[in-house]
Amino acid sequence: LPGLPGIQTCLRIAGAAAARPECFLSVQDGLAADFRAMTKTLYDLNKGSTIVRGGPLKELVIENFDEEQIWQQLELQNNAVLDFFKKSISRDAEDEDLCLLSDQEEDGSDAETSSDKELEDNIMEAETEEMNVYTKDKDKTKAKEKQSKLRESIAQKYSDEDSDIDFDIEALEHQAKTAKETTMRKKGRKSVVDDKFFKLAEMEAFLEHAEKEDKEEEEEDDDIDYFEDIISDDEEDFEETKVKPIKSSRDMTYKDFFDPVDDDGDDDLVANDAEEDQEEEADSAIEEQNEGSMSEFEDMDEMVEHMKSKEASKKVTFSLPDDSETEDVTEVQLEKGINPSEIKSSFEKRQEKMSKKIKSLEEALLEEKPWQLKGEVTGQKRPENSLLEETVLFDHAVRMAPVITEETTFQLEDLIKQRILDEAWDDVVPKEKPKEEAFEYKKRISLDHEKSKLSLAEIYEQEYMKLHQQKTEEEENPEHKEIQEMMDSLFQKLDALCNFHFTPKPPVPEVKIVSNLPAISMEEVAPVAVSDAALLAPEEIKEKNKAGDVKTDAEKTPTDKKRELRRKKLRKRMKRREKEKRQKLLEKMKPEQGTKLSKKAAAAKLKRLTKEGKASLLKDEGKDKALKSSQAFFSQLQDQVRMQIKDASKLKKKQKKEKAISVHKLKL
Amino acid sequence: PASRPAVSRPRQVGKGELRKIPVPANRYTPLKENWMKIFTPIVEHLQLQIRFNLKTRNVEIKTCQETKDLSALTKAADFVKAFILGFQVEDALALIRLDDLFLESFEVTDVKPLKGDHLSRAIGRIAGKGGKTKFTIENVTRTRIVLADTKIHILGSFQNIKMARTAICNLILGSPPSKVYGNIRAVASRAAERF
Repeated sequence: LPGLPGIQTCLRIAGAAAARPECFLSVQDGLAADFRAMTKTLYDLNKGSTIVRGGPLKELVIENFDEEQIWQQLELQNNAVLDFFKKSISRDAEDEDLCLLSDQEEDGSDAETSSDKELEDNIMEAETEEMNVYTKDKDKTKAKEKQSKLRESIAQKYSDEDSDIDFDIEALEHQAKTAKETTMRKKGRKSVVDDKFFKLAEMEAFLEHAEKEDKEEEEEDDDIDYFEDIISDDEEDFEETKVKPIKSSRDMTYKDFFDPVDDDGDDDLVANDAEEDQEEEADSAIEEQNEGSMSEFEDMDEMVEHMKSKEASKKVTFSLPDDSETEDVTEVQLEKGINPSEIKSSFEKRQEKMSKKIKSLEEALLEEKPWQLKGEVTGQKRPENSLLEETVLFDHAVRMAPVITEETTFQLEDLIKQRILDEAWDDVVPKEKPKEEAFEYKKRISLDHEKSKLSLAEIYEQEYMKLHQQKTEEEENPEHKEIQEMMDSLFQKLDALCNFHFTPKPPVPEVKIVSNLPAISMEEVAPVAVSDAALLAPEEIKEKNKAGDVKTDAEKTPTDKKRELRRKKLRKRMKRREKEKRQKLLEKMKPEQGTKLSKKAAAAKLKRLTKEGKASLLKDEGKDKALKSSQAFFSQLQDQVRMQIKDASKLKKKQKKEKAISVHKLKL
Repeated sequence: PASRPAVSRPRQVGKGELRKIPVPANRYTPLKENWMKIFTPIVEHLQLQIRFNLKTRNVEIKTCQETKDLSALTKAADFVKAFILGFQVEDALALIRLDDLFLESFEVTDVKPLKGDHLSRAIGRIAGKGGKTKFTIENVTRTRIVLADTKIHILGSFQNIKMARTAICNLILGSPPSKVYGNIRAVASRAAERF
């Protein structure tokens, strides 16, 4: 090798510097100059090698150049070289012989180192192992040990000094770039369309890679092995592919295609936020001076976190966010107080976690279950208002009232507007009572279940009469009405003309019922207790005798008797007088009637007649009496005979008397 | 051939046209009771001669010289026949007063061959409870119905007889009385509407 002495010197210097890390606490100008010279030699060596096509500058110019200018030169070189590296890497990745398994860490590490060495041949050879390991683009199978070592070294280097001078500028830059790249790749810009499965940044990266591949493929063979497994974007990481056994497409599962469903990005963000907080809290003193570097460091850390978490999630079956968190926590702890003695292997850590989990699960199973899982729980068995915190599902027997949302109101309003436009009102139609014409009513024949009282002939007769009568009635009625109206109006007018003196009708004697009751009983609504006392007194019914009490004949005193007699006589006298007056009147008015009627006059007449001899009196001899017994008969007979004899004798006497005493006749 | 000129004789009712109406034993007493009411209109209004032959148990109606109307004899015969069948005198009298009344008779078994209990039930359906159904039909259709065991006689005008006959046939065939009422009411109202 042509540049061997140069390399050896560089190694020597670097080793010396690394051996005394404490000197980096202060500014080391000498070391800085040595490092610069070292960089130049390495650059020149690199340029010498024909394998890699680098930038335009053939040598690195250090004299009187600022750090910035040196960096820019390096950048030019690195940009050119990176493309070459990418191609070579992709080429090597396709190589099936290379494979790395995650379990065999040592192998992995060996593989890493081997790959490292391969890289080193391409990249600057003088870089430290740790740096090389760290600066790999998509390293995911980094062992924790390595990482911790790396971190130590980084921490040592990233002390509270000025960043530019003490650090290996190249390495730092490279790291930053790669870190940024990886972060871009992994974390990327969070875009709006990102979700669990899709990341816009990843898609763009994939597209860029594909374009580059197309360019490469143009140069490469056109034969494409169609049965070759095409590795996805995520597994561009050649470490990854070596580690994993290459599956045939038939055996691929979800895991192979996609990241785990839990939001790694968010979790990482969260975890990283927490981590950042912790970091800030802890390293406040340190960070004051290394803010820029710290940010970079954090970015790298994030990348590391992410890679690790991804690794964890892909390798470990329990893909829980807890792992990453716990990992973060442990990492934070490590950051804070880095104790090399407590470092455990990832497997051990995983085993620990698992055992913890198993323990917790067992405890949970053995413990008493929470009330939610106990089946029927009454109010007493659960804490107060615990149902309010639970989302409870139950069947509703009654249809729930509709939930009024804005949408429903909008719907209603639209409906109302449409109705108004259509003028389709829901007005109440007034109900009309169905008017049945008399004609219809007549036709409705009611069923009579009894024997008709009219005979058939009469029924027909009635019908006939109805038919004929109807006509005449209709004719008369309107005429009658007219006539009646006209007459009414006429009489009204006539009355107005005639009746100037208005004589009211004579008062009709009103019949007034006077009840012989005390006023109080009439006015009182409720019937006052009716007693005999309220009724008429016996004196009011029948007038009391002046004399006093009514007396029987036995009780009467002689004065009473005489009094009565006098009264009786007086009454009779009055009657007789009235009668005579009447008779006299009658006689005067109608002489014939008068004589007939009066008894005296009749007796007087009879006497005169008998005297004159014109009439004879029939004597009642008792012949009319019915004879009941023989004794009565014979006694009657005897009486009759005697009477006859007497009469005969009396006649003789009377004749004699009459002859003797007829003075009147003598006088003439 | 020469023929003598036709002698225009005033058309006279044939002498001594006689109609005989037999009287069954069950109608003998009613005839006796209503004899006055029967023979009065016949003799007075129709100017016919009527007698009841006790031996033959027939009512005999004869025309005489006073008879003016030819159709009087038929009317009188129908009137008496109606009474004999079972109608009331006043109802049968309508036959004399109105021209267009007819008398129709048919049997229950004419409509549907029924026997025993079914027959009795059919008759019962026609009659109704206390004669309710029969009276209803009579009132609605303005006819008179006589239900004599299995024989049915209907007296009335032609249209009404038809209505009543339909109603009775429906009852025989088995429809319930309420349905029959509805039907006859509808028919009767339509008939009344027309006139």
